[in-house]
Amino acid sequence: MLIPRRTKHRKQHHPTRRGAAKGGTNVTFGDFGIQAVEPAYVTNRQIEAARIAMTRHIKRGGKVWINIFPDRPLTKKPAETRMGSGKGSPEWWVANVKPGRVLFELAGVNEELAREALRRAQHKLPMKTRFVRREGGDA
Amino acid sequence: MSESNENLLKATVRTEFGKGAARRTRRAGLIPAVLYGHGTDPVHLSLPDHDTFLALKGNANALLTLDFGDNTELALVKDVQRDAVRRTIDHLDLILVRRGEKVVVDVPVVIVGETAPGTIHTLDLQTISLQAEATHLPEHVEVNIEGLEEGSIVRAGELTLPTGAVLEVDPEAVVINVTVPRVTAEDLEADAEAEAAGEAAGAQGEAAAPAEEADEEA
Repeated sequence: MLIPRRTKHRKQHHPTRRGAAKGGTNVTFGDFGIQAVEPAYVTNRQIEAARIAMTRHIKRGGKVWINIFPDRPLTKKPAETRMGSGKGSPEWWVANVKPGRVLFELAGVNEELAREALRRAQHKLPMKTRFVRREGGDA
Repeated sequence: MSESNENLLKATVRTEFGKGAARRTRRAGLIPAVLYGHGTDPVHLSLPDHDTFLALKGNANALLTLDFGDNTELALVKDVQRDAVRRTIDHLDLILVRRGEKVVVDVPVVIVGETAPGTIHTLDLQTISLQAEATHLPEHVEVNIEGLEEGSIVRAGELTLPTGAVLEVDPEAVVINVTVPRVTAEDLEADAEAEAAGEAAGAQGEAAAPAEEADEEA
């Protein structure tokens, strides 16, 4: 499971959900990928579930790139706790994904297999995504 | 190879600038662009969006013939700003070129064929820098990887370049690497888990079947 090795602060403010991705909007390493169409916090568990879904389907035949990293901690107060007494304890690690971001990339497999593998991965993610392809001559 | 008369675009010179004006331009079905190079003052233009999209579709190094006012200029695309989600062109940076001038452009590498069974190829250089005549730019460089075995490496110096093109990157730079997919401990563990889950489901199904039969008899 992806997790930062060391952090400067244990708890952070909630990351902003507005705007579109500024970078990482093209398929750059592999041949195919999944692109986010909506903003979302993607947890490290969801990233791992998507990776496993993909690698199991391609039966280790290709290469997978994960372009996002869950570097933001989200906190949660315990159930049935009164308000106050400070911020809750860190519960999840999330990647703050903005629309347009390419989340995963895949290479070394044909398009049919890649589509199915990425479709399975898409089901593990909390937002609407789409299949994208690297276009050699794309400007 | 691109030909100059293929992509004729009717451009108009922009007189208002800034994000408000740029948004108005986009709403009118035009793309804001800037043209510069050869020490000339930059010219702010607006281009027809659909025609520009078609000219650049599948060829980032398309040579554009811009017709604005009394001028006709040849230009190459230096930078494209795209909408992250819709992929429409938001803005174009165009660089002036002269007929016969040599320019350096990044040309995509296109793979032909498949490597030996059980191996995969990794494209380390997706584009390759070439120097070529502005009016005869290659659209892509093809690399044949048919039957390459594990450990094979295709270097930039081994590529067959189009006539008139000169390599601008280190000839020793790795373009394609052929490897066997790596099996990690996690993958093996995941496979073992999947097999165990499959067997358990099968055993449960067999155990449930006699019980159902007994119920039916009763």
